[in-house]
Amino acid sequence: METEMVSALEERLLAILMVLIMLGMGASLTFKDFRIALRHPQAVGIGFASQYLFMPMIAFGLAQAFQLSGPQTIGLILMGCVPGGTTSNIFAYFSRSVLSLSILMTICSTIAAFFMVPLVMEIYTRDLDESLRIPATNIAAILFILLIPTAIGMWLRKRNANAGAVTELIGGVLGILVILFLLVTWVPRNWQLLIDTHPGVYGSAILLGLCGFLIGYLFSRSLKLDPRKARTVSLETGIQNGPLAILIVWLTFDGVLRDEVTVIPIMYSLFIVINSTIITFFYRARSIREELARDQAKVEPARNTRN
Amino acid sequence: MKHCEAYDRAPWSNQYERPFDPEDVAPGFENLPALIRDASSSWPDQLAFTTCMPNGMNGSLSFGDVEAMSDAFAAYLREELGLEAGTRVAVQMPNCLSFPVAAFGVLKAGCVLVNTNPLYTAPEMRHQFRDSGAEVVVILDMFLDKLEAVIEETPVRHVVVASVAQWFPRVVRGILKGVLRYWNRVIPDTDLTATPINQALRTGRHHLNEKEIDVSRYTSEVGHDSPAVLQYTGGTTGVSKGALLTHGNLLVNMRQLDLISQGYLEPGRDCVLTALPMYHIFAFTVNLLLFYHHGGRNVLVPSPRPIQNCQRAIENYPINWITGVNTLYNALLHEEWFNIYPPRTIKVALAGGTALHQSVSERWLDTVGCPIVEGYGLTESSPLLCFNPINRARPDSIGIPAPGTRVRLVDEAGACVPAGEAGELVARGPQVMSGYWNRPEETEATVKDGWLHTGDIAVMDEDGYFRIVDRKKDMVLVSGFNVYPNEVEDCLATMDAVHEAAVVGVPDPESGEQVWAYVVPRAEALTEADLAAHCKANLAGYKRPRRFIFREELPKTPVGKVLRKELRDEAHRAAAPATAAEELAGQGEG
Repeated sequence: METEMVSALEERLLAILMVLIMLGMGASLTFKDFRIALRHPQAVGIGFASQYLFMPMIAFGLAQAFQLSGPQTIGLILMGCVPGGTTSNIFAYFSRSVLSLSILMTICSTIAAFFMVPLVMEIYTRDLDESLRIPATNIAAILFILLIPTAIGMWLRKRNANAGAVTELIGGVLGILVILFLLVTWVPRNWQLLIDTHPGVYGSAILLGLCGFLIGYLFSRSLKLDPRKARTVSLETGIQNGPLAILIVWLTFDGVLRDEVTVIPIMYSLFIVINSTIITFFYRARSIREELARDQAKVEPARNTRN
Repeated sequence: MKHCEAYDRAPWSNQYERPFDPEDVAPGFENLPALIRDASSSWPDQLAFTTCMPNGMNGSLSFGDVEAMSDAFAAYLREELGLEAGTRVAVQMPNCLSFPVAAFGVLKAGCVLVNTNPLYTAPEMRHQFRDSGAEVVVILDMFLDKLEAVIEETPVRHVVVASVAQWFPRVVRGILKGVLRYWNRVIPDTDLTATPINQALRTGRHHLNEKEIDVSRYTSEVGHDSPAVLQYTGGTTGVSKGALLTHGNLLVNMRQLDLISQGYLEPGRDCVLTALPMYHIFAFTVNLLLFYHHGGRNVLVPSPRPIQNCQRAIENYPINWITGVNTLYNALLHEEWFNIYPPRTIKVALAGGTALHQSVSERWLDTVGCPIVEGYGLTESSPLLCFNPINRARPDSIGIPAPGTRVRLVDEAGACVPAGEAGELVARGPQVMSGYWNRPEETEATVKDGWLHTGDIAVMDEDGYFRIVDRKKDMVLVSGFNVYPNEVEDCLATMDAVHEAAVVGVPDPESGEQVWAYVVPRAEALTEADLAAHCKANLAGYKRPRRFIFREELPKTPVGKVLRKELRDEAHRAAAPATAAEELAGQGEG
């Protein structure tokens, strides 16, 4: 029995959700934040390097190591190239990392994605068959269109701080909901495909996120960022905008090829939620331990107004 | 008493905006509720309070809302709980919309407001509620567990509970509550019976309508000498005690604040950033009461730590007044967002609570474009005693005594010191408290013959400007020379690589005491040698710290005063480890 892997309805739904997610992302910061970020290139630089240097490199390396097929390689490299997801901001919040840094990195990598994703894709997929490659203009067009809701989100934030903050939250939560939505609709219908899939595909989809966490952390520690910021960069690097990658694939490929390319972005998206949740609990415990240690070192204000 | 003439002829009096007229320094209203009612009816539709959360989420109340809600709360206290005038009601909340509603409600009910620090530990709460005899506590849900632990041992009979997101728009409130309860888990589960503040207001409103009550009759007997607020303070003797401030004390002090800010307060048009907690006397009188009185809008920041919590409040609202302490201004000036987009709308920045460092004041002027005007006062004086005229603030000075205030500098024996010499600042005026609650000895030790002894050492310039050299008890005596920690801290703080510093004295067998400095570095590369070199270039030998200790942060009070006492205790332990160990061993044997 052959079922179309993605229905037209799902495609449209994903596109709408994506617009809402970007709206939420825009609402997460103000024009001032953005201008401050540009004046302060360190965080942006680190975000850039981990996002557009390390992640594609990891993806390429994993594809080679697991000897993935052409369509799978495209899926994995695209997954490595897309900017950070808004979901990372939620995880940053819950893990008590530096939320503002997470938001800045997400927004910078998203805006830069307009030219960086086509460029990096070009570099890593130039040896692949022409029919497999995603046209640069295609990626650029999708990313450009998504900048519009981002700008509207920023404007909304400026107009009404409450509406902005709520939109931001909804955007972040939708990022996770999209993945849950895929889990309940896509996974059961493609059960057979998942069983037949080579373990290397699973391995690479899981390892992409984990390597991102690790390298993001080590890289920022090596640049002397404090542990809390390093954890933020780590989450930001490992968590990619899965729904965006899926949307690009769906809008580019058709039929069987589409199914094959989509496998890795979908698996990545499913596993990253699990991985990030575990990492978040781990990071949260570390943050709390550090905070407690700091509290121990100082004396709480209320406790010493008298003896 | 021969030198007293130098102070009693008030050499500062020609510095006032207009010649001092005793008539000017009058309470103006029968009691605080009358003043509150006057403001509410003048600007009923204007926003009075806005709470701004770190992510920008916010909620507001108009003057009309505050009036109606505090009336209902007063009726709840009197009709439902059956309280009498003069009953103590504790309000234990950080800055949030419930604070003014509860505080004004307590005053309108003719009860005495007991401002309580929400960061208190359970034993501290027990002490304060027992000492004040508070029968009702209005508290934030986050702190209920601490109250539950001690409530049996206190006279508290009723608990009213509020949330930090109280009266925010519904969706926003739901999100904030959910996050606080289920993720941050800062809202404890308790078995304590507590009335939600909203329900208390409903009940109160019901009584108001049912019995056609005129709330102002609750305070018909309340006059200038009636107690209004019990404001707890450690004071100089250590035990936390309640300074009893009357309606008259507070009304007069506001009038004095009016006189010194003439031309700067624009009724109905100001917007003040309230990052200092309103349970503290500075923000209570200046931000809450004075700005409400003049139809100003208070933008409340529930917790200014980390300082980034103030960012959205400063960005999103047209702040033109700000009150703070040295550490708050210092922290703001070290924030990137603040330096790049300083709020140019600010016309007056008021500082108090602790000495304002010269370096902070200069950087503020450079960055924001308005000077920080330093004032001086104590909990015991409602708080303002001295101030700098706003348009000619003098650096490193607390300015001149507020209109209607007499100030002298005295020695240990209580005799005036010659003008220009250092002595303890003593003051008398209509804003000075009537005494500590139930503590006649402490009152006698602090207010002698009507003169409030501040415990601060000051000098007076020829034209009547005062300068605090330091707290009496913080002074370090090195080989017979007085070292004032402020001076050394100020010197250290001028270094770019120093974020802040605190200086204390530790016993020294040779020089009596020696100076130690606790330093919070801003640059990692900062070394002891750099600090020593800087001090050598700028300070006389006996003032130079003998040890520099690096810290990530300094212990502070809720308003951000550095707690030198904590550091001193620590330094003493570190300076005499052998002695301490011996003592412990001795105890073990005993």
